[in-house]
Amino acid sequence: MNKQINLRQRNFVIGLIIIGLMIVGLFGLRTARAFKKFHGHRPPPPFAAQHIETDVELIRDWMTLPYISITYGLPPDLLYETLNIPPDGAEKKSLRQLNHEYYPNVSGTVLEKVKAAILSYQSTLTATPPATSPPESNP
Amino acid sequence: MSDYLLTQIINYGAPLFGLILFLAALGIPLPASILLVAAGAFSQQGFLDWPSIAIVGLLGAVAGDAISFGMGFYARNWVSKHVEGSPAWRNAQQSFDSRAGLAIYLTRFLITALAVPTNLIAGGSGIKFRRFMAYDSLGEFTWIILYGGLGYIFGSQWELVSDFISNFGGLILGVAILGVGSWLGLRRMRSVENEDVNKKIPET
Repeated sequence: MNKQINLRQRNFVIGLIIIGLMIVGLFGLRTARAFKKFHGHRPPPPFAAQHIETDVELIRDWMTLPYISITYGLPPDLLYETLNIPPDGAEKKSLRQLNHEYYPNVSGTVLEKVKAAILSYQSTLTATPPATSPPESNP
Repeated sequence: MSDYLLTQIINYGAPLFGLILFLAALGIPLPASILLVAAGAFSQQGFLDWPSIAIVGLLGAVAGDAISFGMGFYARNWVSKHVEGSPAWRNAQQSFDSRAGLAIYLTRFLITALAVPTNLIAGGSGIKFRRFMAYDSLGEFTWIILYGGLGYIFGSQWELVSDFISNFGGLILGVAILGVGSWLGLRRMRSVENEDVNKKIPET
């Protein structure tokens, strides 16, 4: 009886060590990989008010149109016009839900259209010459 | 699930966030840490109000912990009926009692996967509710400031932080399991050695 308990205890301890090693190995690798990605990025300037995002690769299909508009500093109606979607009722829906509703046969259409609209808007901003003060007349 | 909840947190803000942390503290598998980092980022972007998120989140998490402590407390009669008198159970209970504060505090933000089991054990072990709440509130406060703060600092890049944190949490859990396994193994080896020595003494 005592031997049986000892055997069970030993198996339990060995099992714990093996499971622990497996978890450490798996998550150790994943942590190292995540750290590499994390380390290569710098956070935006700390406590920067009105920080406007420019990288469209950060757009995910859980985001809503108002969220994207504010994060990327777009005019509020731009994305609705691009997608040809009425704002009423759509403002709380994610890009995935909108895609499912308006483009049920092609996945990712809304996401791609939104990215393209932002890039096009950003290019118009950079193309516009900066406002300069009128040349002063020399006396 | 995470994606759906992220959309709803943008739409409904602090009340939904508090409810999610409450349910997660009860043991419902919801990605609370990821949502906390995201909520910090949404606050930095101006979608949520950081003080409201922090207060409502803290209240939700602490209330959930208090209820799961209560579940452990009311289940202790059932547990003691099944393991009463077992020296292993008594040992485990004594070693938990001596380190309960540290265990409660660390499982709030470092080994979050063990938070709910710790609440249940704490409730069943008979430690005072006031003592549990003190360590629990401190731990949840650390969790909210640390994870939410990282989300706030990294803003739109919060996914990088969240990815790192969730993997690091898994790594710490693995280290804890390995540590407990090694500790039990060493203890067992020592007791086997002692038994051998005791057996040899009468022979000499």
